[in-house]
Amino acid sequence: MDNSKKMTFGQRAKKTIKKGFTKTILWTKGMMKKDATQTIITSIGCAVIGLLIGFIILLCINPANAFQGILQTVENFFAFNLPKTQLKYFGLTLAKTAPLICTSLAILFAYKTGLFNIGASGQYVIGVLITCFAALAWRLPWYLCILLAMTGGALWGGISGLLKAYFNVNEVISGIMLNWIALYITNALFQANAGTVWDLMLAKTYKIDSSLPGFMPTLGLDTLFSNQSACGLGMIIAPIVAIIIFIILNKTTFGYELKATGYNRFAAEYAGMKDKRNTVITMCISGALAALAAPLLYLNGLSQWEVQATVPALGFDGISASFLGGLSPIGSIFSAYFITHIIDGGSTITSLGYSPQTAQVITSFIIYLCAFVPFVKSYIDKRFSLSEMQKANGIPSRADLKQNDSVVKKRHKWKKERKEDK
Amino acid sequence: MIVVQIIATTLIYTAILTIVAFGGMFSERSGVINLGLEGCMTVGAFVAALVMRILPASMNPFLACSLIVLIAAAAGLLYSMLLAVAAVIFNANQTITGTALNIFAPAIAVVLIKAITVTPSTPAGTSRLNYGAFNDMFSFSFPGAESIKFSWFIVILLVLIPLVWFLLYKTRFGLRLMSCGEHPQAADSVGINVRKVRFTGVGISGMLAGIGGLALIMTGSQWDFMAAASGFGFLALAVMIFGQWKPLLIVGGGVLFALFKSFSVNYPGIFPTLATTPGMSYVFLALPYIVCLIVLIFTSKKSRAPKAEGTPYDKGAR
Repeated sequence: MDNSKKMTFGQRAKKTIKKGFTKTILWTKGMMKKDATQTIITSIGCAVIGLLIGFIILLCINPANAFQGILQTVENFFAFNLPKTQLKYFGLTLAKTAPLICTSLAILFAYKTGLFNIGASGQYVIGVLITCFAALAWRLPWYLCILLAMTGGALWGGISGLLKAYFNVNEVISGIMLNWIALYITNALFQANAGTVWDLMLAKTYKIDSSLPGFMPTLGLDTLFSNQSACGLGMIIAPIVAIIIFIILNKTTFGYELKATGYNRFAAEYAGMKDKRNTVITMCISGALAALAAPLLYLNGLSQWEVQATVPALGFDGISASFLGGLSPIGSIFSAYFITHIIDGGSTITSLGYSPQTAQVITSFIIYLCAFVPFVKSYIDKRFSLSEMQKANGIPSRADLKQNDSVVKKRHKWKKERKEDK
Repeated sequence: MIVVQIIATTLIYTAILTIVAFGGMFSERSGVINLGLEGCMTVGAFVAALVMRILPASMNPFLACSLIVLIAAAAGLLYSMLLAVAAVIFNANQTITGTALNIFAPAIAVVLIKAITVTPSTPAGTSRLNYGAFNDMFSFSFPGAESIKFSWFIVILLVLIPLVWFLLYKTRFGLRLMSCGEHPQAADSVGINVRKVRFTGVGISGMLAGIGGLALIMTGSQWDFMAAASGFGFLALAVMIFGQWKPLLIVGGGVLFALFKSFSVNYPGIFPTLATTPGMSYVFLALPYIVCLIVLIFTSKKSRAPKAEGTPYDKGAR
């Protein structure tokens, strides 16, 4: 007490700042060890680097418009002047986010069980096939359309699961094959049903509009987003499903079993979990989730199927979204929004002479960067914790620094000695 | 005539699939799954197509062809290094990295092609590249049947088959490569540099995929890069699994899948009645994939993949 009284104001301020500074550092270090913090930091890092790569490519093509181009990609609907138009296109981006949330959930759900569901695209395509037939040819109400599409996706995904569990066929290879088979079957069946489902004149499926029972209820959301007709139930379904998946994975025995199988297949089997059955069920659920994306994109008139030569990107964007979201169902809501935002914004840069595929370049590079995330995380862990050697030498952990200042000196001394030894 | 046509298309597809599957084999034998074969094919084809736009058509055909093949190989090699760096140095997940490479390749190719082809009259540009002048250089025909073209890549494949077999089984490099894919720790303990070997393995796969990509686009006079390598990279992976990671079996698998692939081009000639049915072309396009899946069901049960494939090399692992 006496000491502090003798100090001048400046000294006291210095001490307080120093104290606060150490506290902040300790807090940061504590936070950095947490997985959630690491995930957020690495994801933001991936997104920023991905955008940077996009910017560099635009620079290479035409330096004059590059900044404008990347700005438009990031701005998306903010580029509009009127708040009402902004709101309308914000609604559009949100509506397009919903299907991507579904495919990213499909990927991450399978990934938790140690399966890489690259066939999400194919399951989504099967979903499109069934949705369009159910809504256009059979005129079924929307909930039946969704149910049928999810069943179809579950069966299609289940093929991969069965082959993996009972025939030792790698799910990546079978998924890729099933993607192409689904694509060609869908193209063939649509074209063979001209008049009911297929519009020969426009060479795409008929639009599913509000006159059909298959059109999803808008729940007044369309008026909320200044008459954006695509907004509706779909926007709500996707986040709810994300929360359900979160609960299944983290709060149920089933989810625990799946994750245990993912960590160590054999250990889980010895513990009495049915490894093969779980593989099939996981792929079925994953397929159903991927197929759910189709009604969310088609039953509000957002999209019409055109004959495609390649597997749709939605399943692959789901891979970026799930990994960017740190493989967490809640995280994937945000990452799916980010990726849709970028893709949507990227489609506006054609006016500047750039290709809309620039967004695809950015998202695919983000997937590439996500592969480095475990390495970066382990680096952060190492950087912010003491090594085994330090512990063995009696150097206290950084948390102990709080109690005693002298340990800092001890630490410095030890470090110096080590340097001399070398 | 139709039989000769089927043989010609089957042969060129065999060449494409087998060359790329050889690439996949080298990579997986070294312990790295190269799922990015499709991407490597696209990049090799794209860079080669760009070069063909610049090269004068009056060049000596042999010189031009070898130059273009070398460039495609080099482009594939460089692109595959993205996988090698991630998988070998940073221990990244090889499946994710490969998938990223597959999506990245067509995207960047289309972006750059549109930047080149955009003109004031067509502001949207196109995703196709034309290289018609060089198309004839890569093909030959037999006297008497000039309309049916055979590709020089078939000859390249014929040269490659004994070469690959010899390289894998009879040279020091090949045996070291296989040891790294089976048990890298043991390989390391006898002084083999696992990282170096894996880099080489991935590099060879990139080179061969690049050449395969060039062979693919040379089946026509222009190519739409939006379609990447139209699934040939994935089919090649299946051919490789079917071939049990062994060069001679891979050739057999290549012929089988190529035959079904050639039906998708030639079916109107074989079944004239089906040609008018709407959507029928897609059924034939799906055929190789369906056959592939069925074949995999019957062969995968006893398939023996390289033991260490897909797992990053950990020095401390037991």
